[in-house]
Amino acid sequence: MLAALKNNPKIRRRAIVALVVAALVVWAALSLHLHWSLVATATLTAVFGVDAMYFAIAAIGLNVQFGYSGLLNFGQAGFMACGAYAIGMTAHYWHISFWWGIPMAIAYATVFGLIMGIPTLRLRSDYLAIVTIALAELVRVIVRSVTFKKYFNASDGINGFGKTFIETTPFNQSGRYSLWPFDDSVNLFGRVLLLIIFAGMSVMLGRLIAERIRRDNKALRLVSPFVMFGIVMVGAKQTEYGGLGFKSLIVGWLVVFVLGFLVYMLMRSPWGRVLKGIREDEEAVRSLGKNIYSYKLQALILGGAIATFAGMMFSLSRGSVQPDNYSRDTTFFVLTALVLGGLAKVTGSIVGPMVYWGLSQFLSVFLFELTKAGGGRVELLGIPIISNSSQIGAYVQIALGLMLVLLMVFRPQGLFGNRREMALDGR
Amino acid sequence: MWHAGGGFEQARGNSSDDGAQLNLRPRHLLGLLLAGLTVLGLFASPVDAADFTIKVRVQNQVKDATTGKSTKEPIAGVKITVTGADGAVVGEGLTDDSGLVAIVVPLKAAYTVTLDESTLPEGFALEDGVPERSISEDNFLTDTVTITFFTGNAERTSVGYWTQLAQRAADGARFGLILAMCAVGLSLIYGTTGLTNFAHGELVTFGALVAYILNTEQHLSLLFLAAPIAIIAGGFFGLLTNEVVYSPLRRRKIGLISQMIVSVGISIVLKNVFLRIVGGRPKTFASFKNQVCQQMGPVCVTPRETITAVISLVLLVLVGVALQKTRIGKATRAVSDNSELASSTGIDSQKIIRIVWLVGGMLAAAGGIFRGLDESASPFLGGGLLFLMFAGITFGGLGSAYGALVGSFVIGLFVETSVIGIPIAPGGGLPAPFSWLHTGVPSELKVVPAYVAMIIVLLVRPQGILGRRERVG
Amino acid sequence: MAAETVKTTLSETATAARAALSGVEAIPGAEKPDPVMTAVGVRRSFGGIVAVDVDRVEIQRGSITALIGPNGAGKTTFFNLMTGFDTPDTGTWSFNGTSLEKVAAHKTAAMGMVRTFQLTKSLTKMSVIENMKLGATDQSGEKWWNGILPFRWRAEEHAIEARADELLTRFSLGHMRNEYAGTLSGGQRKLLEMSRALMTRPQLVMLDEPMAGVNPALKQSLNHHIRGLRDEGMTVLFVEHDMDMVHDLSDWVIVMAEGRIIAEGTPDQISSNTAVIDAYLGAHQGKSFLEDM
Repeated sequence: MLAALKNNPKIRRRAIVALVVAALVVWAALSLHLHWSLVATATLTAVFGVDAMYFAIAAIGLNVQFGYSGLLNFGQAGFMACGAYAIGMTAHYWHISFWWGIPMAIAYATVFGLIMGIPTLRLRSDYLAIVTIALAELVRVIVRSVTFKKYFNASDGINGFGKTFIETTPFNQSGRYSLWPFDDSVNLFGRVLLLIIFAGMSVMLGRLIAERIRRDNKALRLVSPFVMFGIVMVGAKQTEYGGLGFKSLIVGWLVVFVLGFLVYMLMRSPWGRVLKGIREDEEAVRSLGKNIYSYKLQALILGGAIATFAGMMFSLSRGSVQPDNYSRDTTFFVLTALVLGGLAKVTGSIVGPMVYWGLSQFLSVFLFELTKAGGGRVELLGIPIISNSSQIGAYVQIALGLMLVLLMVFRPQGLFGNRREMALDGR
Repeated sequence: MWHAGGGFEQARGNSSDDGAQLNLRPRHLLGLLLAGLTVLGLFASPVDAADFTIKVRVQNQVKDATTGKSTKEPIAGVKITVTGADGAVVGEGLTDDSGLVAIVVPLKAAYTVTLDESTLPEGFALEDGVPERSISEDNFLTDTVTITFFTGNAERTSVGYWTQLAQRAADGARFGLILAMCAVGLSLIYGTTGLTNFAHGELVTFGALVAYILNTEQHLSLLFLAAPIAIIAGGFFGLLTNEVVYSPLRRRKIGLISQMIVSVGISIVLKNVFLRIVGGRPKTFASFKNQVCQQMGPVCVTPRETITAVISLVLLVLVGVALQKTRIGKATRAVSDNSELASSTGIDSQKIIRIVWLVGGMLAAAGGIFRGLDESASPFLGGGLLFLMFAGITFGGLGSAYGALVGSFVIGLFVETSVIGIPIAPGGGLPAPFSWLHTGVPSELKVVPAYVAMIIVLLVRPQGILGRRERVG
Repeated sequence: MAAETVKTTLSETATAARAALSGVEAIPGAEKPDPVMTAVGVRRSFGGIVAVDVDRVEIQRGSITALIGPNGAGKTTFFNLMTGFDTPDTGTWSFNGTSLEKVAAHKTAAMGMVRTFQLTKSLTKMSVIENMKLGATDQSGEKWWNGILPFRWRAEEHAIEARADELLTRFSLGHMRNEYAGTLSGGQRKLLEMSRALMTRPQLVMLDEPMAGVNPALKQSLNHHIRGLRDEGMTVLFVEHDMDMVHDLSDWVIVMAEGRIIAEGTPDQISSNTAVIDAYLGAHQGKSFLEDM
């Protein structure tokens, strides 16, 4: 590292820039008298929070479709709704154990994927985008309709499913919990589970970052996961969650890692190789005797089936299914989070949503504190920026939308993607 | 776009400074556009409310026996209770003379709104029979959530089938025209540049909001000032999108899929800029309020509907004729068919693309204004129409200008008429899964047949009803 | 055209192929003793312009057949039609006696009929060896349910990799094994595409302009490789513009012009065929036939 700093002018320049920026940020932070600990807690809580968790699952699925196979699925929210409603309907309509929700979700995703894929996957790729976005909206229209209230309970959504799951929580519903594994409230099993998740994450991230900094430095590869582990643990200590959805949060992150591992294995398999080939040039792969259409359908449905777990875990953590959680914007934000993390990288699809929600929450709470400190108004150079804390949401979304634009233009590979392997426009 | 967005209010009167700061190529365009945006920012009233509010509206819906149109009357004195997730009562109140009650709640959170049915006037009952509504945190898009309870002693008095159909077809034709205006630009942009513009809905919204601000807040005549200004502004707004975003991207050789995702980002940004400026509440225009419909043959239309329909038709015919007859129109179609071939024949395809964005933006703005008149203007207006626009242009044939016109018109017509069944089995003698064929699709699901039509067309004729086979593969 | 020069180096299979074709009449649509591919009445038009209109054509098994003709003669379209990448308006065509009507492109490849493209389609963002492995048709790990379980495909993967390495060495690409295919030169990409096609263990190899854009040294080695395919019992059909190469390499030549087959015959017969000369002259408006070739 130090040698690199000495010898490589590019790295040196970057280090200097990073230092200057950091100093400026610290100076600005100290000169604003805000509750920074509050901002930090909120941000870190969001990084490991329920939103990041279910976005990560959805992004892993979208990555299979868009990142690896080049399929423009703009209907991920529809697949998520399949999961949410599969699990909700076990209580509302079927009156059976909520575990049946999992096979049903996969069945719904398969049917939904077939409806989307069969008419479009033979056509140019933009047809898929158009049809998926319309059909996901169709799902939302149907589940919130009074006509099908019997099945989906219309706009009221569904509550009261997965009671066994929610009620058997070892956590006190009104308590506050952190992800700090050595908290008094955490039992041995919980400790081990948390440590495994954190260790896995640290290894994954640490190795990636080591690779970014210096490709062949063995020592760095060895040390960097430990450094990462330290950072993750310090971050985890800052977090604070309510007891109500805490169990689903832990289980959810476990699901993230299981699905992430699954996709990692799949993409290193010959199956994944065919998909990467298709992403770049389907004609070439077809000429080698592969059934492109079938592979694309498989990828669409598999990614969709993964996304149903996002709907399921989100619903379980909230204890309710709401149709309007599965609107077009959900798809767009999952896409933003994935692009931020890096397409065609499992790490990207997990870290992207964490950073995305961390950023989002940071901006929200920061602006909120700023507004509070300014007596309910924020002015910049005499121009009123915020006159009411309810306007903050719009600013946050503007920033995130802008981030998507800038990423696509200047850094399409996101945080962790490989630009050389990016084949976005391979048709 | 950030500069433009953040600068709405700072741009008061000195829009050119802002333009210089951005350092853009076609500076004159930018000036014009920022002037247009300023119009939005200048007159927008900031949304001021201390807490979050749940507004509950109780209305009685009466359907006119002859016209089939429903009117809504407020019901006063109905008791409404809001309870939190823990079951504790957060607030309660009685509806006032306008049937409204506002209950202040401390947080964006989940609540249950309950209507006390015993306080309803004698003989009134809730239309769906459900006295409870749930609100989740996500419903608070702004600081206010509005919930409406409908009561209905409104049995559908039987109107003749053909009268109903005629009425619906008239409404559908009007909606189809509006949809076609919105979608022509989308399709032409797709045809000439290959971009599927997910932010096209925001061009529609832009027109509606500019016209709303000029009309309602600045008291300009809608027909003669507000709408024409908004339409022109919309055109320049479209042009600006091209000049600032997509034209540089094309020069940088950024691929179409990346451009498509950029348009997703632009859509998110614009929607929220609109939301920040005008707030999330639906907005009604000052002009053409409380219109009474006049019988014209079997159908009953308001003067507003007649005027908008005629203007839409004129605009669309003009576009059609321009595409067919004028040099630019022919060039547009040529670029749309094969842009390489077109540029080899000396057509300046960048110029054509600029014209397409300009005209597309103008038409979208016009569509937005008319849609806003029919329903109400809001930052979500265009985004909500985008799905149907997509269905329309896919149905008609992606990239084909006439396809977009015809396809969107048909989809619009289809949406409105699908609520009327086909009288094939008198007495509703069809088995349950098919009874909708006879009774019509419930109006909340009227978009469903449109999407189904889109899927069927893709299956049997993927190039769309007016597209050409070679474009698809 | 130095017709006599090549005869000295004929291999055993070449002699056999030429002997089998020696009795065939040099007319368009001539019947061959042992056709591997047959097309009858195949027609395809694009918006009123007829691109391909072939009454009858047969490809002799175990031979190297060249498909020549001026630009726009419909050679590539004909390739697309035969391999399922495009569908004719009318006509029947078969491979090994099996009708290929309504057979999807990927199935024709599985049946043993593989093609390459005029503009090389090497997957530039994958490594050379990954490109090769993609060509294998006997990898059960290409089913997703097997994909998650590496132990079910690892053995096959090793076998495939060994075969791929062998082919890469043969085509002198061994040293580029782990590079991105995008780093290869144009000629190397042609080689990669051809060797990747061989990974499917084809019976009929259809090469669309294998020599285009390839430097002369590499051309000789390509020439050598194509002969090698015949020696291994494969049938080769290739599109080519370089007439020396055609003359040197092929056992039989088929000439297309304006979508139709205008002549067939041995290379010697074709180079003296007036219909062919007219076709080239007509298409090239007075340019010398020889010069163009």
